[in-house]
Amino acid sequence: MAIKFERVSFQYRGVDDKGYLALADINLSIAAQGEFITLIGETGSGKSTLAQHMNALLAPTEGRVHIFGVKLTSDKKKNRKQRLNPIRQRVGLVFQFPEYQLFEETVLKDIIFGPKNFGVPHEEALERAKKMIQIVGLDESYLERSPFNLSGGEKKRVSIAGILAMEPEILILDEPTSGLDPMGRNALLKVFYDIHEKLGKTVMIITHDMDTVYEYAKRVLVLREGALVYDGEPPGLFSRKHVEDWNLELPEILRIQRALEERFGIRLEKNPTSRKELIEALGEVVM
Amino acid sequence: MFDIMKSTFGVMRMNMIDIENVSFAYSGKVEALKNVSLCVRKGEWVTILGHNGSGKSTLAKLIVGLLKPQTGTIRVDGVELSERTVYDIRKKVGIVFQNPDNQFVGVTVRDDIAFGLENLQIPREEMVERIERYAKRVDMYSYLNKEPQALSGGQKQRVAIAGILAMRTEAIIFDEATSMLDPDGRKRILSYMRKLRDEGVTVVTITHDMREAVQSDRIVVLKDGEVLKADKSENVLKDKETLEQSNLELLLPLEVLHGLEKKKSTNEELKEFLWQLSLNG
Amino acid sequence: MNRIVIGRYIPGNSFLYRMDPRTKLIAMILLMVGVFLIQSFLHMFVALALVTLILVFGRLSVKRVYLGLRPLVFLLMFTFLFQVLFNRQGELLYSLALHYTILNLSLAFMVVLLWGFTKRFIRFRLLYFLGAVVGIFALLHSISFGVVLGEGTFAVYEQGLSTAFFIMVRLIIIITLSTILTITTKPTDLNLGLESILRPLRVLRINAEEIAMIIAISLRYIPTLLEEANKIMLAQASRGVDFQEGKLKDKVIQVVSLLVPMFIISFQRSDDLANAMEARSFVPGQERTRLHILCWSKLDTVALACTSLALAGVVLLRVVGW
Repeated sequence: MAIKFERVSFQYRGVDDKGYLALADINLSIAAQGEFITLIGETGSGKSTLAQHMNALLAPTEGRVHIFGVKLTSDKKKNRKQRLNPIRQRVGLVFQFPEYQLFEETVLKDIIFGPKNFGVPHEEALERAKKMIQIVGLDESYLERSPFNLSGGEKKRVSIAGILAMEPEILILDEPTSGLDPMGRNALLKVFYDIHEKLGKTVMIITHDMDTVYEYAKRVLVLREGALVYDGEPPGLFSRKHVEDWNLELPEILRIQRALEERFGIRLEKNPTSRKELIEALGEVVM
Repeated sequence: MFDIMKSTFGVMRMNMIDIENVSFAYSGKVEALKNVSLCVRKGEWVTILGHNGSGKSTLAKLIVGLLKPQTGTIRVDGVELSERTVYDIRKKVGIVFQNPDNQFVGVTVRDDIAFGLENLQIPREEMVERIERYAKRVDMYSYLNKEPQALSGGQKQRVAIAGILAMRTEAIIFDEATSMLDPDGRKRILSYMRKLRDEGVTVVTITHDMREAVQSDRIVVLKDGEVLKADKSENVLKDKETLEQSNLELLLPLEVLHGLEKKKSTNEELKEFLWQLSLNG
Repeated sequence: MNRIVIGRYIPGNSFLYRMDPRTKLIAMILLMVGVFLIQSFLHMFVALALVTLILVFGRLSVKRVYLGLRPLVFLLMFTFLFQVLFNRQGELLYSLALHYTILNLSLAFMVVLLWGFTKRFIRFRLLYFLGAVVGIFALLHSISFGVVLGEGTFAVYEQGLSTAFFIMVRLIIIITLSTILTITTKPTDLNLGLESILRPLRVLRINAEEIAMIIAISLRYIPTLLEEANKIMLAQASRGVDFQEGKLKDKVIQVVSLLVPMFIISFQRSDDLANAMEARSFVPGQERTRLHILCWSKLDTVALACTSLALAGVVLLRVVGW
């Protein structure tokens, strides 16, 4: 197991000693390869905190986190003695807003910034940049442009390319499609899925979008007020009980499927997990 | 006789916003808007729908005179927008912008709602009363003394709305006001849009989110700075070709509906149900 | 973070909290001027006693204020030492011959290194530091054999000592006065008070409302900026920037990777905020009504009268020559 959480809790120390418990007794394992996970939860449920534990930006105030053999605990001195920087190359974390990250004069320089910090030679970093800019759907001409003259969606892709260029083993993305229009969203999700399928990497996406969860994820983690309340496959998450208890929004595909079943008694043989599948399945049954 | 009177009144009833042949380009760049014409009637809820970069946010800033068009005219409540009239026009049309943090001026919620009122030189006693009333309207009354860093994005947007409501504008433009919010925040703001329209406020929503467009009266679709289609929302929402041209997706129930229509299905009950499903998303 | 009392508002309930911020500002300035005019020791201690009384009657925790002074201990110590070492007036109170030889200079250097490496394990840092200093002096005095590079004396003169104390007490009073101001006054109220006081400067073309608005907006964004700086550091750390380690060259990159995004975000924010303000009918230079108004009360009149009298008294004493 690449990442392992053992009874991890994290207490934020606020101003005037008013802290709050961001994570409560989390137990979790993530494999180095082959997983496609979505992490969901309401704002303030601890998703970002959890992600920041996975690349050693934060250390737990209770419990143990193991990342590729490095152990982090509440003992700050011991934590400091370990070399945490290399972990950040192996577990790549893309933050939600590219504005927090872009700073170089050109897109090219910004993308190679990460790999070079981890010792990748200049020539190789350039090659990676050329590859990654295309993978995120922008062409090479973007490399010479200033990152600050780009649109929101373009900036987002550049920031993702910057982390991809580090060639992490595990990729964590915080709301990578927020603010993008539908075409942009679909294109990007396909990129992540390809990275997962073709390169076998573990990808974790933090999102609010239930459609992403239903259509792409193989595993869903649900956080509620710092506790991990669900860790399993997407279909199981959307049982009536969970939806009611946790006030979950249904993915569109499921919402339509269930509404049609309830009202017209239309039953589908296989549960479709994409728009196309739903339309095809319905087309057959309804005609 | 009656028809003559009705059509006369139709002409006399002014549009809230009239945009005629407006073109705009940011300095040195490609035209953001090319010869755009559209109108928003009083009390209507119009959605301006377009992909990122279609020019929609530019439109919002043009309407309140934050930008000046290179060609064309803009009229608000019958008055042409110019350097002289811009201050009066801003009293009639308020805007809620996209970034909750970058429009929150006050040190506390109360101060932020007061900001616009102070600008309008509203007397203090009335300010106090309006602040309390409109804070209650957006369910932020108990937060009046809170500072912005203690608030979520959705709460900050509600404060922005309260600030504009307190200014008693006739129209409100929501410029991608929900795009940085989580689903709960988004739903709340959407419900306010509906309530406002029901109360007679003219609402203009600028977005690329189909779910926001669904409940409006009319939709204007923009692509690359041009109006692709402007029609009753039902007609636009079902128009797959136009929407896809603008990098937008049909809502799934409508996609299914479209598929059925292509196969010449006669199941009207099912089709109507699907339409209702799309409205209740 | 909790100990930094200087500059932080701490809610409370006393006459100090009920005073108009304008009164507090003016009173503080008057008192500070008075403190600078004081010449004798006795007067200085009276001033110190008065300030302590203000603290007590103002129901401010003396302990808190004292703790707030702790970070400035080095400044106070430096001022003290500066006077002691370089002020050579009056009677000689004490002198110590110092010899600078290769041997004792190297030993002194080793003591410095030893202090540097071991200080993190010691609890009472200040005492440890003083001990090291005393140790070095002892070394330089007692060891005098070997190649002698020079001679010197460590001498303490009467004036040096008394001036040192005098200046130190004065500094403490000044800092305490400004701390009283910031502990009992919310930054926004302070801003309102400042605006009101500066308003007459309109004749000099200084626009108090504009300045006050600039300050108000800055205050509003300080917490936001801190949060953003933190997020930027986390994002850059995820790309391999190690904010703890690094040679000078690395430090430059670290700072750039933090500052550039901060500036860009701030510029974007200025643009957005200006648009939002204008859209809400803000017109720079135009009259605005106000939600918050300041109320002058009897307490303020009394306080101002007292501080004016105090200052007048000090001036009088000085003129008369006491």
